[in-house]
Amino acid sequence: MNPQAKLIFAISLLLGTTITISSNHWIMAWAGLEINTLAILPMISKSHHPRAIEAATKYFLVQAAASTLVLFSGMTNAWHTGQWDITQLTNPVSCLILTSAIAMKLGLVPFHFWFPEVLQGSPLTTGLLLSTTMKLPPMTLLYMTSHSLNPTSLTIMAILSVATGGWMGLNQTQIRKILAFSSISHLGWMVIIIIYNPKLTLLNFYLYTLMTATTFLTLNSMKALKLSTLMTAWTKTPPLNAMLLLTLLSLAGLPPLTGFLPKWMIIQELTKQDMATAATAMSLLSLLGLFFYLRLAYCTTITLPPHTTNHMKLWHTKKPTSIMIAILTTMSTALLPASPLIITII
Amino acid sequence: MMEFVLFLGLCFVLGGLAVASNPSPYYGVLGLVVAAVAGCGWLVSLGVPFVSLVLVMVYLGGMLVVFVYSVSLAAEPYPEAWMSWGVIGYGFGMGLVVVVGIVVGGVLGLLVDVGTVNSVGLLSVRSDFSGVAMLYSEGVGLLLIGGWGLLLTLFVVLELVRGLSRGAIRAV
Repeated sequence: MNPQAKLIFAISLLLGTTITISSNHWIMAWAGLEINTLAILPMISKSHHPRAIEAATKYFLVQAAASTLVLFSGMTNAWHTGQWDITQLTNPVSCLILTSAIAMKLGLVPFHFWFPEVLQGSPLTTGLLLSTTMKLPPMTLLYMTSHSLNPTSLTIMAILSVATGGWMGLNQTQIRKILAFSSISHLGWMVIIIIYNPKLTLLNFYLYTLMTATTFLTLNSMKALKLSTLMTAWTKTPPLNAMLLLTLLSLAGLPPLTGFLPKWMIIQELTKQDMATAATAMSLLSLLGLFFYLRLAYCTTITLPPHTTNHMKLWHTKKPTSIMIAILTTMSTALLPASPLIITII
Repeated sequence: MMEFVLFLGLCFVLGGLAVASNPSPYYGVLGLVVAAVAGCGWLVSLGVPFVSLVLVMVYLGGMLVVFVYSVSLAAEPYPEAWMSWGVIGYGFGMGLVVVVGIVVGGVLGLLVDVGTVNSVGLLSVRSDFSGVAMLYSEGVGLLLIGGWGLLLTLFVVLELVRGLSRGAIRAV
């Protein structure tokens, strides 16, 4: 892509995100969401492959519909209450429309159908942006309006999201689709706690961003897009594959890795709020996700002895070390002992 | 007067139906024109004729004209036509249901208001073009963001359609 065009799209992504997360007027929130949607479209369709174009089309249609619903919710609230403040959402119709709009933006069940295909059709770095940066504005809107939204619908969407993310990821061989379902599952964990303790939602989101960024960047350096490629990619950078094992287990939420911290805090808060059944259901449904994380981890670390193969196998190419992957990997596996510090900061 | 406003609303929805069910872009554009004119009429009934005129000028006189020119450059010799009467039948049926629902539901009074102090007539300070003046003075941040969004749309579209047959819009 033209470097100047790439600069404009990158600046617009930052601008749109900043506008939405710093807004207190519905029009500004909507403008930021629209700028984000537009700016990422050429990044998704960069390769001009038909699958990428289809992914860009699906992304645009879903996100434009969701932005329209956000705008309608803000406008209906302004019509009935006379003010445009995001935290003062009082009209019940507006709250319902906004819940479905945020669910469409994030990829919560039952509005998740676009997410795996969009992630599969985009390159790995754009997939990273879609999973992390594009989720920050809707998550911020959810955080700001969490006290006005219907708790029942949020809880049902959250539990269904964890279930769908776990079950649908089981039969996948394409890594980007697996990461899409892992994202849906993590979003379920984020949404279930938002009515009781919204800070835990943000904690879960930040740690999920960390772990997902590590995974995407590691896969990008190994250029592994499906399980079969992942099996033979250990020869390029063996230590990176070992760390990818730990990062994937951290995404699954296993102690003593970082990914355990948000799940632990959320289960604790749910139990305190007399929602032990929901906590049990979420934990059991996350076991489904653990299976495909384990399968991914198995594929990354399996080491075969040197033997004759009938396809070309790569071996120890001179790859420059990436300091970003090193920092992110360390943070996404070793942050659990610092959990009191993290909980105080967030 | 109320019935005319309701008829405008019906035309808006029917125009949207025509856009969505078009067999070829030329008929979709006709639906867009109907929907835009009906929307402008609705805006006049709400008491903001300046915004309505701006919409007509920019949308119909600018964007639609450019669209028609580019479509006529890529014209096909034998376009499809609206062959099925089912679409028109559905449109009438839906319009009838909506109008009956609104009349029976009793929300007729909410749709058309009596003209308030600054929304009708030729006063010097009116809600619609004073609002536009405010957009350029107090609301300059939103103006700049809106302008950036439109410029970004231009770059996005140019990036998405560049490449002729090797680009995004290619016969696969």
